[in-house]
Amino acid sequence: MAEFVSISRLEDLGEGDIRAFDVRGTKIAVANVDGTFYAFDDTCTHMGCSLAGGDLEETTVICPCHGSEFDVTSGAVLQGPAREPVETYETRVEGGSLEVSS
Amino acid sequence: MSETFVIVGASLAGGWAAATLRQEGFDGRVILIGAEPQPPYERPPLSKEYLRGEFSFEGALVQPPDFYEENDIETRFGVRATRVDATEKVVELDGSEHVAYDKLLIATGGRNRRFTTPGVGLEGVYDLRTVADSDRIRAEIAPGRKAVVVGMGFIGSEVASSLRRSGVDVVVVDRNRVPLRRVFGEEVGRVIQGIHRDHGTSMIFEDTVAAFEGAGRVGRVATARGRSIECDFVVVGLGTEPVTDLLAGTGVRIDNGVVVDEYLWTGVEGIYAAGDVANHYHPVFGRRIRVEHWQNALKQGPAAARNMLEKDEPYEDIPWFWSNQYEYNLQYAGFHTEWDELIVRGSLDERNFVAFYRKDKRVLAAVAVNRGKDLRRSMPLIKAQEPVDAAKPCDLDVDLRSLASVARTR
Repeated sequence: MAEFVSISRLEDLGEGDIRAFDVRGTKIAVANVDGTFYAFDDTCTHMGCSLAGGDLEETTVICPCHGSEFDVTSGAVLQGPAREPVETYETRVEGGSLEVSS
Repeated sequence: MSETFVIVGASLAGGWAAATLRQEGFDGRVILIGAEPQPPYERPPLSKEYLRGEFSFEGALVQPPDFYEENDIETRFGVRATRVDATEKVVELDGSEHVAYDKLLIATGGRNRRFTTPGVGLEGVYDLRTVADSDRIRAEIAPGRKAVVVGMGFIGSEVASSLRRSGVDVVVVDRNRVPLRRVFGEEVGRVIQGIHRDHGTSMIFEDTVAAFEGAGRVGRVATARGRSIECDFVVVGLGTEPVTDLLAGTGVRIDNGVVVDEYLWTGVEGIYAAGDVANHYHPVFGRRIRVEHWQNALKQGPAAARNMLEKDEPYEDIPWFWSNQYEYNLQYAGFHTEWDELIVRGSLDERNFVAFYRKDKRVLAAVAVNRGKDLRRSMPLIKAQEPVDAAKPCDLDVDLRSLASVARTR
């Protein structure tokens, strides 16, 4: 069973925001899409840029370096140059704090 | 009767055009012809990760190796299309074989500009276009070796960066005052110069190569201003020219590449062009432009394929490209050849900025260093081509996406 780690207070990640967190040595990005939280590897599979440094448009995150687009709900590549999907993680809200599985 | 669509040029534009024909449900014959022996591959890594040995060739393939057979795409790799007969609707291969077409896409791209400097034939003098070229340069790379890079355009800048990162001593010779001056101008060029200088690249500007010298193999580069630079090998990056020879006598207009309209059609029955070779009318800029970058080939190949299937979709994507040099990510969007003023958001000195090329109060293009998010957010502004107050894009409190009245465009 997945173990959850608390990463942020809920109010620190507003709607449309995306931020990266260090979760036990892995950079994980969390996006708030209309109040639903999606967590995925922050490191772009193309050249290693931080996806949290890019824009979130609905459920699509756009890498700031080379424009690769990923679906934050599944990690799937929507637009290259990246070819490999990013890993996704479960999220949950516990007592006002946001948690991701690790 | 089933139609035959022939694509000449098996690189990014051609490879994606073939795939698109199938994705769009075309059930005729698709024949993809390429001069190189390999299936379509991505060229951006050739001056960067692949050159540094961080990346396999398989990782650069546009499609998996079995893709073409699985999608019933006939391939002729390692074969050069030498002539098109637009009356008989036939492509001649290697001066002998003939392939008939109903529609034809020219995606032949560019070839490196030929140069005639004495000694250019010496061993150890390279240019870079293909994976074979990259392999030859890669074999020369070892810490402590000495390289001369001729020309500080994108290929020269990226190769210099990759060589330095691999421990090679690099001297660059360029005829301009700063790197990439023709594209970016003096101010941004100086920023790029600073990046290269800080990474230990020696740069000689306003000078040209007079001769490559050595007995059989290059050992020195002599410049027009009398310098003599010792080296173990040389990489020349002096730009490309479009490959259009095969169209001579077809009636297709050749002027800085293959002239096409916004539908990527040449005006000659059944013949289209896409990618580096296509000098296409761009509705946003109201003029013809020819773009030698990855995204243009990636998007234009499929666009041409759809128009071959009579979708009648004008191609109006904003040109965009990136370049990686050392730890810096550089991006450009738009199209400009001249500008009234350069307006900067962020800081040139800190190498964190977007600079906008503004002419007649409109932003024609933008270049960013380590500020890719802002560059993407500038796209609607560039696409809108509306007058904009010069102070607005520089104001960090202003979201660049709010500066265009039109909806977000991609």
